[in-house]
Amino acid sequence: MAKKKWIASLGITTMLVGSVLAGCSGSDEKTSSNGAGEKVEITLAGWGGNPSEQKLLTQTIADFEEKHPNIDVKHEVISEQYMDVLKTRLIGGEGPDVFYLDALEAPALIETGVVEPLDDYVTEDFDVNDFEKPMLEAFQVDGKTYGFPKDYSTLALFYNKKMFEEAGVEVPKTWDELREVSKALTKDGVYGFGVAPELARLYHIAQATGGEVVKDDQANFASDKVVNALQPIIDQHNEDKTSAQASEVGANWGGEMFGQGKAAMVIEGNWAIPFLADTFPDVEYGTAELPTINGEKGTMAYTVGYVMNAASEKKEASWELISYLTGKEGMETWTSKGFALPTRKSVAEKLGYDKDELRGALVAGAPYATVWAEGKNLPIIMNNFNNQFIAAFLGDRPLDEALKEAEEQANSEIQ
Amino acid sequence: MNKQSSKKRLQDAGQGYLFMSPTLFVLAVFIIGPILYAIFLSFHKVQLLGDMSFEFVAFENFARIMEDNRAIIALKNTAKYVLIVVPTQTFLALVLAATLNAGLKGEKLFRIVYFLPTLTSSAVLTLIFMWMYNKEGLINNLLEKVGLPTYNFLGDPDIALNAIMLMNIWATAPFFMVIYLAALQDIPDSLYEAAELDGANAIQKFFYVTVPFLRPVTSFVVIMGVIGTFQLFDQSYIFSGGSGGPNNSTLTVVLLIYQYAFKSLGTMGYAAALAFALAIIILVATLIQRKFSKEESLY
Repeated sequence: MAKKKWIASLGITTMLVGSVLAGCSGSDEKTSSNGAGEKVEITLAGWGGNPSEQKLLTQTIADFEEKHPNIDVKHEVISEQYMDVLKTRLIGGEGPDVFYLDALEAPALIETGVVEPLDDYVTEDFDVNDFEKPMLEAFQVDGKTYGFPKDYSTLALFYNKKMFEEAGVEVPKTWDELREVSKALTKDGVYGFGVAPELARLYHIAQATGGEVVKDDQANFASDKVVNALQPIIDQHNEDKTSAQASEVGANWGGEMFGQGKAAMVIEGNWAIPFLADTFPDVEYGTAELPTINGEKGTMAYTVGYVMNAASEKKEASWELISYLTGKEGMETWTSKGFALPTRKSVAEKLGYDKDELRGALVAGAPYATVWAEGKNLPIIMNNFNNQFIAAFLGDRPLDEALKEAEEQANSEIQ
Repeated sequence: MNKQSSKKRLQDAGQGYLFMSPTLFVLAVFIIGPILYAIFLSFHKVQLLGDMSFEFVAFENFARIMEDNRAIIALKNTAKYVLIVVPTQTFLALVLAATLNAGLKGEKLFRIVYFLPTLTSSAVLTLIFMWMYNKEGLINNLLEKVGLPTYNFLGDPDIALNAIMLMNIWATAPFFMVIYLAALQDIPDSLYEAAELDGANAIQKFFYVTVPFLRPVTSFVVIMGVIGTFQLFDQSYIFSGGSGGPNNSTLTVVLLIYQYAFKSLGTMGYAAALAFALAIIILVATLIQRKFSKEESLY
């Protein structure tokens, strides 16, 4: 009797343990069917855009699938914490075949070897020379190309036409003029200039007087040249009181602040144009190239590329997808509505963005823009810079002191 | 006879362990395993992405904590947070529970209303509070209406952590209130009657009967509070968009661990060391707390 019970309980336990084990050892097997005629499914991961942008991408992918009937593209949208999710999935061996990669994050990720070099795949008619050089270089390490930029945006000065008319001022051509004009534009609840006090937006200004923010992959932004170049931004906020960051007026970002009419000028990129058209269609505004510093033109450029997972089992199909998306045809579809600017010169010419009333200033900035990417430690350097720069911006401490501390901290994290 | 029973006992034990084995298995895989792995990681320099590499560095990761400015700031912030939030929320919970236990009209309604914040997810709560703290938000609007100066609560490093504290006290005190309430209803009325006969007034009754009787519960509330507050993460993460700013003022230890583990590459080992150090700090704080309340235990 007792024995029977024993056996019964053993049976039950084995079943329970067995089911737990079965649950754990999920389906690891991948169907590695690359055979001819068979369908191949590849995954494409990226962050989400606005609905109209999503529609364009879906359209581009549908075009691709039509031309390559044996390839199925599974589009995955990672909406939050893109890089964290992506890194974790790559570590776990569950990474997507093709994914977006921001130029800022590219060098560090490429160094780990998880991104496939694409040089061997490139064919003659893909026409690499057609790409805007600075954008392409953001994805090149030691002469190898690891990704192709899907689009980019530079920064331009957005100004509210009505406010400029009322104040009777001209669009500023230099930073000194911008500071003067801001005084005339600032009044009761409206700031002349909406500023974004973060490194991603100030990088070119920081280097405008010959300083270097990053030197030998180390933070170097406490050098006198950089501090002097950035001091006017602080002074305008604290002394003139003619500039404000978005959070100071209850907005989430510069475009919103501008749209709400709380700033007469902001420096934003291409993304602000569809946003303003959607959310604040009544605002009359114009764009201009960024004001010059010491007679030198400068602006920032942000770019994102398509890269391939080095661990992918479907590399041929993945390359087909990348080459289509960044190719002349795919890029034209993707950028046709103006949510993003094409990185291929031929496409830009064809779509005529250089003559566009609003986008002209953005396209004009491309040749002299500083690409937001600089070595593998830029994310750490950026974090520490932003953390302390805001303290100086709010007037809690002098800029040189704040940046000195941030630089030491950044470099201690880098070693 | 004797042999028989010892064999039976063995069988019983074996049966018991067999029944427990699914749980033990889950424990080993999902709790004990990760803990051991984290300890293992904390002694290594780890690169997980791409070519995985583990390099044994002994105590280097722990030594690095001492030299890391941000780790010191995070620890200070967290300690400040614990020292202010735990006593305040404990006291507030006790007072709320006492008022609810006093037999007021509409007691049940108040109980529900007080408990509501606990039901809200902390992410939603943080977003609502951020909206209230906003430069153009509710609080500043009210301040403006009564003619007081408005304030940039979110942007000022001196205020940001306090703003989170306030929010958290408001959100967690009701949870502990319910625990207190249960304990309060356990206190025999005869004790109060005896005190009354001795001529104690309401305040004396509270401090000499209620508070001592609640000691074991208070001990529980404080320990849970300490553990919870040391692990502050989500609020400051949402508040600062993951950066711990402005000026590191909302940087907590767990947020720092997160940053080192997921934001920068190759610092997983250091993050594990930080996590391990935090676990030890919480353990020590709990032991100290227990030591103090031990001899005062009622039972």
